[in-house]
Amino acid sequence: MSSLIQVVINGILLGSMYGIAAVGLSLIFGTMRIIFIAQGTMIVLFAYLVYWSFEKAGIDPYLSLLWVVPLALILGLGLFYTLFRKAAALEDRNVSLLLAVGLMYLIDNLILKLWSATPRGLNITYSDAMIVVSGIRVSWLRLALLGLGLGSALAVYLFLKRTRVGTAVRAASEDMEATTIQGINSVWVCAVSFAIGIALAGVAGVGMATVYSFDYQFGFIFAIKALVALALGGIGNVFGALAGGLLLGVIENLAAYYVGIEWIEVASYGIFMLVLIFLPQGLFGRRALVKKV
Amino acid sequence: MNTRKLISLGIGALAVVFFATLPFYYDVHKGQFGVFFFNVFVYVIVAQGWNLVGGYTGLISLGQNAFFGIGAYTMALLWFNDVTKTGYYFDPVLMIAAAVAPAILAVLVGLPLLSRLRGDYFSFGTLGMGMIVTVLFINGGMFTGGAEGRMLVPKMPEGVVFNLRTHYWVALLVAVLSTLVVYFLTTSRVGLALKAIREDEVSAASHGISVLKYKVLAFAVGAAMAGVAGSIYGYYLLQVTPSNVLTQNWLFYPILMVVLGGTGTIAGPWVGAFLIYLMSWYGDSVPYFTGYSPVLSGVVIILVMLFLPGGLMGLAQKVPGWGQRGGE
Repeated sequence: MSSLIQVVINGILLGSMYGIAAVGLSLIFGTMRIIFIAQGTMIVLFAYLVYWSFEKAGIDPYLSLLWVVPLALILGLGLFYTLFRKAAALEDRNVSLLLAVGLMYLIDNLILKLWSATPRGLNITYSDAMIVVSGIRVSWLRLALLGLGLGSALAVYLFLKRTRVGTAVRAASEDMEATTIQGINSVWVCAVSFAIGIALAGVAGVGMATVYSFDYQFGFIFAIKALVALALGGIGNVFGALAGGLLLGVIENLAAYYVGIEWIEVASYGIFMLVLIFLPQGLFGRRALVKKV
Repeated sequence: MNTRKLISLGIGALAVVFFATLPFYYDVHKGQFGVFFFNVFVYVIVAQGWNLVGGYTGLISLGQNAFFGIGAYTMALLWFNDVTKTGYYFDPVLMIAAAVAPAILAVLVGLPLLSRLRGDYFSFGTLGMGMIVTVLFINGGMFTGGAEGRMLVPKMPEGVVFNLRTHYWVALLVAVLSTLVVYFLTTSRVGLALKAIREDEVSAASHGISVLKYKVLAFAVGAAMAGVAGSIYGYYLLQVTPSNVLTQNWLFYPILMVVLGGTGTIAGPWVGAFLIYLMSWYGDSVPYFTGYSPVLSGVVIILVMLFLPGGLMGLAQKVPGWGQRGGE
C-alpha cells in the first residue's frame, strides 16, 4: 500500500512539470489558436542554459529563475514579432504550425551541435535531501517541482484575473474578433500571451534541469506530453491544465510500476487518443478545445 | 490543352526519360549519384503522399513516419517469416501488402480523428499514433525483433546479386506512379472535392461533399504511398529497425520538401526532394559546416513559411506570361 502511495506521490510531483508546460500551451492556444509544438524544445533549451550557468558559474538553479524568466519573456516577444506576428493573423493555422515545427527542428539540432548528444543532468549539493513521512520518501527537489507548478499556475491565474492585459487575453480567448472591435490591440494580446507561455517554458526548464536527465531529443517528447496533459485537463482553465499534468504524471508512474517502464509512452499516448476521440473538452475544460465538424 | 500544360508535360516526360535511361550510361551501383537519386525517389514517394493529404486536402499529418515504418516492417516480417513462400526479391505481393497495411491503419485512425476533430488536433492525433507505433515496434519482442529489428540479408534468394540498379528503377517507377496517382486524383472530381474541403469545409459539406469520406480517402492513399516507399527502402537496407525506418526524419524531411517545393503542386515534391536531399548530402562536406544541415533545414522551413508560402513552384507561377495556376 505504501509503495502505491509512493508511486502516486512521485507521479504528482513529476507531473507538475507537464502541468507548467500545459498551462503555457493553453495560454498560447487561447489567443493564437495554435498548439505551440516547440514548447518542449524551448523548455530543454532553458534547461541547458540553467545547466550551463550552474556548471560554469556555479549559479544555483533556483536562483537562475531570476534571470531565466525575464530572458524567456524577452525571447518570447522577439520570437512572436519576428516569426508569428503575420501568421497569427492568418485564417490558415497550418502556417503557424509549420513555423513551430521548423523552429523546433532548428533549436533541437542547434542544441545537438552546441552541447552534443550526451544526456545532461545537474548534480546539486542538496540533490539527495529527502523528507520521510511514515515510510514514504520524497526528495526536496521533487517537492519543489510541485511548488513551481502551483506557483506559476497561481501567477498566471492572478495575471489573467487582476490585470488589464490579462482581462484582454481572457476576452481574446473567448472571441478574438469581438475583442478587436472593442479596440483592443490583438497583436499585443497575442504577443503577451506568447511571451508568458515562453516564460513558463523557462520555469519548467529550471525544474527539468534539477530533476531530469535531458538531451536534445527530449523536447519533442516533452511537448507531446504537455499536449496530452492539456487535452486531459481541458482548455480555458489554468488549474485544469495543471491538474491534467499531475494526472498524466500519476498515470505514467502507475503504468511504469504495474506494467513496465517501457510501456509508459503507450499508456500516455493511448490515453491521449482516447481523450481526443471521446472527451474532446477534457476533464475540467469549460468548452471543447476541439470544434466538432 | 494549352501551351503551359504542354511545356510542363514536356519537361516532365524529358526528366522521366533521362532518369529512366541513366543506368545505361552511368553505373548507378558504383557511382554515388545512384544512391543519391534512389534516396530522392524514395523521399518523393513519401512527399507526394503527404502532399495529397497536406497540400491538397489541408490536413497536416504528423504520422507519416509510422506509415513508412509499417510499410517497411510489413515487407520485412512477411519476407522474414516466408509467409508468401515465394522468396522473390522485390516481391510485388509484399509491396502491395506494404501499401495496404498502413492504409488500413490510416482508415482506422482517420475515421475517429477526422469525424470528431479538425485542424491542429488531427495533426496531434496522428503524432500520437506515430509515437505509439514506434514504441510498439521497439517493444515488439520476438515478433518485430525489438530494437535490433529484422536482418533480411540471409533471406536474399540464391543467385541474386545486390545491384542498386534494381532499386533505382523500382524507386523511380513508384515515384512516377505516385505522382501520376496524385495528379489524376487531384484533377478528377475527387480532387475538386479535396480542394473544396481545404478552402472551406462547411461550404464543401453544404454542397453535398461527403467531407469525412474524402478526407479519409486522401489520408489512406497518402499512408499507402509512405508504406510502399518504406518497403522499397527496406529492400535497400536489408535490415529493418525502429531507428532507421521509424525515425522522425521520415516525417520532417518529406514535409520540408513539399513546403519548399510548393504545397499542393505536382512538381513541388520533386523539386523540394532534390534540393533538400542535396543540402543534407553535401551539407556535411562543406568546411566549418559539418552537422549543421538539420539546423539549416529548420531555417529553410521558417524562411519559406515567412516569405514564400507558395514554395518554389508558387514562385514559378509568378513569372510573367506563365499564366495562372492550373487546376486551382
